[in-house]
Amino acid sequence: MASVKKQRLSDGLSVTQKVFVRSRNGGALKIVREHYLRDDVPCSSICCDDCEEYYRPTPDGGKNEPVLSGEPLDLGKQNIGKHYLVLDTNVVLNAIDLLEGDKAFYDVVIPQTVLEEVRNRSYPIYMRLRALCKNDDKRFAVFHNEFKAASHVSREKGESAQDFNDRLIRKCASFYTEHLKSHKIDIVLLTGDKNNAEKASKEGLVSMTLHNYVSLLPNFAELEDMLPSNETFSRQLNEINYQDYYSSARLMGGIKNGTLYQGVINISSYNFLEGSISVPSMPKPLLILGRENLNRSFNGDSVIVELLPQSKWKKPSTEIVDEETINKNEVGDDDENEVIISDQERKLLAQQAAETQGHDDKVIPTARVVGIVKRSWRLYVGQLASNAAASSQNTGNAAKSCFVILMDRSLPKIRIRTRRSRELSGKRIVVAVDSWPANSKYPEGHFVRVLGDIEDKDAEQEALLLEHDVEYRPFSKNVLDCLPKEGHDWKVPENLQNGDEQLAKRRDLRDKLVCSIDPPGCVDIDDALHAQLLPNGNYEVGVHIADVTHFVKPATALDQEGASRATSVYLVDKRIDMLPMLLGTDLCSLKPYVDRFAFTVLWELDQDANIVKVDYFKSIIRSKEAFAYEQAQLRMDDQSQQDDLTKGMRILLKLSKKLKQKRLRAGALNLASPEVKVHMDSETSDPGEVEVKKLVEANSLVEEFMLLANISVAKKIYDEFPQVAMLRRHGAPPATNFEVLNDMLRVRKGMSISLESSKALADSLDRCVDPQDPYFNTLLRIMATRCMMAAEYFSAGNFGYEDFRHYGLATEIYTHFTSPIRRYCDVVVHRQLAASIGYEPLHSLHRDKAKMDLVVKNINKRHRNAQFAGRASIEYYVGQVMKNTQSTHEGYVIKVFSNGIVVLVPKFGVESLIKLESLGDIKDSHFDDELYKLTFTGHNGQSRQISVFDRVNVFVTSQLDELTGKRKAQLKLA
Amino acid sequence: MSRLELYSPEGLRVDGRRWNELRRFECRTNTHPHAADGSAYVQQGNSKILCLVKGPMEHGANLAAGTKLDANGPVLSITINYPPFAANDRKKRQKNDRRLQEISIILKRCFMKTIVLKNYSRTVIDISLTVLAMDGGLLACFCNAITLALIDAGISLYDYVSAISIGLFDQTPLLDMNTLEESDLSFVTIGVVGDSDKLNLMLCEDKIPLDKLERLISLGIEGCHRVKQLMDHQMRVAGQELQERQ
Repeated sequence: MASVKKQRLSDGLSVTQKVFVRSRNGGALKIVREHYLRDDVPCSSICCDDCEEYYRPTPDGGKNEPVLSGEPLDLGKQNIGKHYLVLDTNVVLNAIDLLEGDKAFYDVVIPQTVLEEVRNRSYPIYMRLRALCKNDDKRFAVFHNEFKAASHVSREKGESAQDFNDRLIRKCASFYTEHLKSHKIDIVLLTGDKNNAEKASKEGLVSMTLHNYVSLLPNFAELEDMLPSNETFSRQLNEINYQDYYSSARLMGGIKNGTLYQGVINISSYNFLEGSISVPSMPKPLLILGRENLNRSFNGDSVIVELLPQSKWKKPSTEIVDEETINKNEVGDDDENEVIISDQERKLLAQQAAETQGHDDKVIPTARVVGIVKRSWRLYVGQLASNAAASSQNTGNAAKSCFVILMDRSLPKIRIRTRRSRELSGKRIVVAVDSWPANSKYPEGHFVRVLGDIEDKDAEQEALLLEHDVEYRPFSKNVLDCLPKEGHDWKVPENLQNGDEQLAKRRDLRDKLVCSIDPPGCVDIDDALHAQLLPNGNYEVGVHIADVTHFVKPATALDQEGASRATSVYLVDKRIDMLPMLLGTDLCSLKPYVDRFAFTVLWELDQDANIVKVDYFKSIIRSKEAFAYEQAQLRMDDQSQQDDLTKGMRILLKLSKKLKQKRLRAGALNLASPEVKVHMDSETSDPGEVEVKKLVEANSLVEEFMLLANISVAKKIYDEFPQVAMLRRHGAPPATNFEVLNDMLRVRKGMSISLESSKALADSLDRCVDPQDPYFNTLLRIMATRCMMAAEYFSAGNFGYEDFRHYGLATEIYTHFTSPIRRYCDVVVHRQLAASIGYEPLHSLHRDKAKMDLVVKNINKRHRNAQFAGRASIEYYVGQVMKNTQSTHEGYVIKVFSNGIVVLVPKFGVESLIKLESLGDIKDSHFDDELYKLTFTGHNGQSRQISVFDRVNVFVTSQLDELTGKRKAQLKLA
Repeated sequence: MSRLELYSPEGLRVDGRRWNELRRFECRTNTHPHAADGSAYVQQGNSKILCLVKGPMEHGANLAAGTKLDANGPVLSITINYPPFAANDRKKRQKNDRRLQEISIILKRCFMKTIVLKNYSRTVIDISLTVLAMDGGLLACFCNAITLALIDAGISLYDYVSAISIGLFDQTPLLDMNTLEESDLSFVTIGVVGDSDKLNLMLCEDKIPLDKLERLISLGIEGCHRVKQLMDHQMRVAGQELQERQ
């Protein structure tokens, strides 16, 4: 700090200058910040008249209003009557859930200092805090204390940044205390830092910790459980000593000189003590084995690892390890009984070590976590460990700590402290993680709220939405305000020449014979088609996509909501929409017999379905009919129907077959997934039966034209916007992904999959047929699908053209254009296409590469989450179906471990683990990992061999998992 | 993602200004009476610029060899000194830094429209700019400093040229950007002739949506008029002093 000087200007502003000179990377870096102090920063209290003139208009004509109420909460204590709260940074960081709740914490002042600190420490919490400040009900106000002349202080020589910030916050509180004295409003400074609280008291401020404050509130009991844990757990735990993380300087240095590696840790869902991490400099992921090496990392954390010496390198475990089978008997309170590593864990480790020495051919480098860059902590759903609840039966209502077992099995259990363990047992609850100290075996957290009873349909649904981070709350008012005011009565204007320039650019296609083909019961119809024979013998084919961007204008609240949801989520009996119902199922939906706006891609195709000409424009269409797939199929097959609409559909069918043929010839893959559909009883909406999804020709008709439209549009927007065009790519899978599968195939069946190109892969998959087992080929396709890379969205500037390739579809360039009602990617593509045909200029949001990167990152994440949520929903319902029906079915072994096998049952699309214990005698088993064969003695005394790809009969029941409360398929060998 | 809140929902910028406020503007003329015919010092916030003007004269010292004098007006030669200590990171600039060259050409074009050309045929006017400290608004400071130094040198101008930079944060135009803002937002620099709405200078090096540009420029013109007032005030004070001394 070189100089600080103050100057008062004539117009009332004064200026401070701070000059820092510090050296980084050897060079000198000067940081000069100007800092204008002002008086006109309002205090935001309604009852204060002095600040009235300080509320200045914003450039767009709006005005900030005072938010703090004149009648805040009155505690009626001697020094705390009616009061406002001033929060310290650590309170916000630790107790944001509590602040967001509607039970307490109104009229709160957030000093600018705190806001900035929170922003630097955790951006998501900052966003939540900002959202709170916007919320009119909660009455949170940001006070720019560093810019207000009366509350500004300069940093003293030698004062640490932390101390300086604390002093700024105290100054802010004392300013408010003085400022509002005449209005009889007290100020309470909440802080988690005892030092700070003491200093504040010395300065004559009212200051207390969060816990003390909450204990004064009338609804104390309710709030107590939600308090963050860092103070209640302060007593010394000594169950384990994790290694301390390296200092940040050492971490940075290590990464720079290549001795440490950074990556995202991925904990195996079969073995909670085994993680892997992909680092750019290594061809294969590194293994991280054991609790100590994982060193307090959560699945999905961004961590820094260090390689272990070669003597500790191992092969991935062939064992299934479940946290609960090992640490089943722990209760949160019984810390004394816990040893650093339980004996069972030790045994496992030793076993693995021995195995490693046996065959050193497949040894993989192992590593340990030495630092955490970014936690992936969020809210988690789980339930109380059952033994904790049981033991609390006799202890009454005293607060005690107990474990919460999370639904996600790759995560450790979380220790919380609650008085209501009895009440909470058997419920799905939401918890937040606060910290994971080095001396505690498990992370510590606090209770947030109850979702409902375990296995209750609504609670389970909400749980799985929360677990997959799906926004499911109803649309907020300012989002709904962006919808057309006419509501359901909105109509396409009668007069197309009413002076609206954009309307005049639309082409009127209402005379074309357009129809839509969708799954039965579909209400959000994105796409419609038409085809007709042209006089020159070619065909005119049009794909019409709902014109969502006519209603969703960029940078509106509606658009932002859509962008953050990014996709609709389809659960078995519920759909979580990306856009409000009014748009999705009515105004945008291309319903039959009404006029609708559409975005049209119009081709001229020759007899062999080659593109002669392509045109893009916005249009008005009137769909003649909305078909379900089967219905369309019947109509096309029925030769007595000879009307023009049916003829058009037959043209489409004919062309689609040619398109498909061309695509397969180019090497498009035909993969499989064990997808099933759950039928619901229409009256009770209880799940009825499970069915494997069926496909008819009409499905592929629609699909082929959508692919064609997507490809054509991708080319067009890439030509126009080579940097920011929103595209979708699917990378070629690395050969290593297929190593295990190929090895299993070679050993067991004498077949192999070729990976040279997607065509070679497609052909070799076709060749792998077991004449005795027609399902084998499908099984192989399912397993091959799992070895594939995931397709992803990207903006064109991030990859070279040759990397745009969509491996699965075997096309050079691809995007998503055809479902704007349910995918945000398509909305962006619509806007880019509209700009490229000169319909309207492209908003800067989609022209800025940095902003597009954020959009892309979000939709990729949401897209993945939506898929997982959909699958989890099916899994839940399949579990419910099986509750009623227990039977024996055919299954296939897809994985063999030394202590169990994984079996897939095609009928239900479920796969589950069968442990060695339930197969037979544990001691008398032999696992041959060269041949993927497990030999064991069954319970009936007969020796039995099971290897991968075997067809087995399994007895399928569903069982409620005592620990996680999840109903899961339970398989037994029949 | 910027580490800082560049423009808070409460309407304050990183340094505490509102969207339409200038930074502290200070200027002085005749700072180096013995070294040049005209000199000026301009400070906008933490940006500090020194400008020396020599001329009109028959031969320029810094003129590139072979440059011919013009019968219709002066030859402007603008040299820019950007010493290593001026910027935040201490780095040496090459002698013919392309960006500085570009800026000098832009300034040359701007002032060839401002100087009364016919008074200075077959002469050289030598302008040398020195950056003492830089905290955003490079071109704008240069332009303001040159205007003052030219006036101080007694060279006839049609009117003041006052310049300012304006940036765009989402939908909000921000007047007079500092370095922090410049590094994250796209901005445009404009120079306005006197109290008119005429632009003699405009430079935009980033992408700005066309529909927002108009708002930026109209805010910029207001800012420029304010800068002109401040400069004019300073000139009148200087003039007064001169009168009193005689």
